[in-house]
Amino acid sequence: MLFRQQALETPHGDLQTPVLFPVSNIGKRSSDNTPEYTESVPDLSTAMVNARAIRNRDPQWERFEDGTPLREEMGVSEDTVVFADSGGFDFQDETVDTTPAKTLETQQQIDADIYGTVDVPLSRDNRQAENQRRISESIDLALEASRRHNGDEVLLGSVHGYDPETVRNSIQHLEREGDFDGYAIGSLVPIRTDYEKVTKIILAARRATDKHLHVYGLGGLTYQPLLLYLGVDSFDSSAFIRSAGNRNYLIPGFGGEPLKNVEELSHLPCACPVCSTRTFKAVRNDRDLLVQHNVWALALELRRFRYMAAADEDLEAYLDLRFAGNEVTKRAYRLAKQQVRRLT
Amino acid sequence: MSDSFTISDEQRDYSTFGLSGNPFPYSPVPDDEPLVYCGQEDVTDRISETVSSVLSTGKSKHLVVTGKYGNGKSHTLKYTRSLVRDREDVLVGYVAQPGDGFLDIYHEFVYDIGFDRMQELSYEFLAEVARTETDRNPMGASSMKSLIDDGEVLLSDLVPTAVQRLSDVTKFADFARAIVHLIYEDTNLYAWQWLTAEGLRYEQRKEMEIHSAIDDDTSAVRAFTALKNMLLELGYTGVFMFVDEFERIAQLSPKDEQATLNSIRHLMDQNGNGLCILFGCAPEVWQDVMSEYHAFSERIGQEVALQPLTEEKVHTLVEGYLNLVRENGSEGIEPFTEEGLQVVLQRSQGNIRQILSICSRVLDDAVDDHHSGQIGEELVIGTLEEM
Repeated sequence: MLFRQQALETPHGDLQTPVLFPVSNIGKRSSDNTPEYTESVPDLSTAMVNARAIRNRDPQWERFEDGTPLREEMGVSEDTVVFADSGGFDFQDETVDTTPAKTLETQQQIDADIYGTVDVPLSRDNRQAENQRRISESIDLALEASRRHNGDEVLLGSVHGYDPETVRNSIQHLEREGDFDGYAIGSLVPIRTDYEKVTKIILAARRATDKHLHVYGLGGLTYQPLLLYLGVDSFDSSAFIRSAGNRNYLIPGFGGEPLKNVEELSHLPCACPVCSTRTFKAVRNDRDLLVQHNVWALALELRRFRYMAAADEDLEAYLDLRFAGNEVTKRAYRLAKQQVRRLT
Repeated sequence: MSDSFTISDEQRDYSTFGLSGNPFPYSPVPDDEPLVYCGQEDVTDRISETVSSVLSTGKSKHLVVTGKYGNGKSHTLKYTRSLVRDREDVLVGYVAQPGDGFLDIYHEFVYDIGFDRMQELSYEFLAEVARTETDRNPMGASSMKSLIDDGEVLLSDLVPTAVQRLSDVTKFADFARAIVHLIYEDTNLYAWQWLTAEGLRYEQRKEMEIHSAIDDDTSAVRAFTALKNMLLELGYTGVFMFVDEFERIAQLSPKDEQATLNSIRHLMDQNGNGLCILFGCAPEVWQDVMSEYHAFSERIGQEVALQPLTEEKVHTLVEGYLNLVRENGSEGIEPFTEEGLQVVLQRSQGNIRQILSICSRVLDDAVDDHHSGQIGEELVIGTLEEM
């Protein structure tokens, strides 16, 4: 069992980990899809934003330059801890159009607490030589960010790799050559269905460093308990927005269920503030409500795990039950358990 | 219930003869690392000359060791292998028999080298690349592995260059990728399977960007040559391949036999440097090869024949084995007498396998019969009559 709880010191206060960063669409055209959750879910005063998207949306960027605070623009409370990644995911198909200096400047301007270094994600469709080049480029960009960054904010080196050796080697290299508060593993979203590979990569990262470990993009319902089990400190997810777009209702322990598959029902099963007081039809017909419920689903999943740990319950037994209903995730958890036990 | 078996783990006591045990094998199959070798001078000279020639000049040279069954071909090859294997500048592989063709020979050869050694070679090549591409100076596989584990060098910087350079050296890009993938825990078993010509599913090959398979004699020759060229690039003097029981090719169909010999001939032609193949073969089959497949036999050129042991050699052989377990400082052929060994020689007709087998049985019988003193003619004859 690698699950751990730490405190991460940030300019906006200490952050208790493990923690989820819901992805905010601020800067993107669909920014109105991110609900105001930080007040309604008290233990979710966190947000993940895309520094590049914010910088590239001229009218908004001008407001920031004129002094409008990011948190006000997002409609979240002042003490919200903001993680600004570089927006590297957009570089999957595009060339890198920013620099570590420019990204750091953006991250500073919006008063982010956690900085992700500029990275160039991998793809299984790329030739291996191209992926290797991207891995090296991400490391060079991270090292440049390390040299330029000397503030109080948390700097996470973005690391990519499709095998444990590369990830381990990259983290060790960054540890040796740079100065980072932790590391963030990327490029896992395109291979998320290959649970064995993803698990091995995360474990390799966890073994390589005792510092803060973030996993980009895998904080959805299915992966969340696995990440907690593997000792990941933070993760982000946009699953609540994307799922709602497809009218998918997230249910911890089951994943997402398309509401079109449900016909006659008076109320939905969740006890969150969205579902408990509204009819099934009201939630189904309002996408914003669905997004809010989905945020709650993610928060509840994390709360439940934390509760089990606090109550000193057997977390492996809890996860055995958690994954019992789905063959795919059950197999994934079994693989993770085998790998973790070999380590401990 | 039958009580006719008397199975016991009680050990025989050989101390009466001043021995700690029976040194002769019950089943005279040569050890992988033979401790005793009773060399026949002309054979050892020719082998030494062949091996030394390759080591000193780097030029390829090959030899056939012939001899009837039981005269020590396998023993000779294995003993030579154990001597050569101690050197750090060569790679040595033993092939117990040629199978159905060169693909099988290649498979057995790589298997004998083993996964760990092949993985070491992969790290050695990365070290070679690291020495030129970085300011680090790893001098071997383990120091290269440490540099990677400690993050002193960046794997993603080294690997593309390593694949490219190895492709240039071997002219076989798939081989280069397989060698480099030996260092990745996710793919090293796939890479090993590919290198040993065991076959891989398309998805497994795709994972390593490998497009072809080693699935016939031609691709096996290509892979073997690639391996040897990689070794020469790494500064090795060469590759030694020991192919035993070569007479088994006579059991193949004429077409397959010719194909096998042709493949080996191609291998020799493509590897004028850094290759030494030692064959063990029954003389009658080698005679047929000599007469029917000139192109092949001419490339080997040399043959040396193992003869039945003489009386003097039998003494040396028996003494060598007994010396392994001496306890009381005695020497020579004791507890065997001259007359006793004469009988062994007559009955075995100088065949090493039979000599060892008879000596083993006679010594055990002497202990079982509580015989003390020397093992002479009568005791040997008595045992032989029961055999």
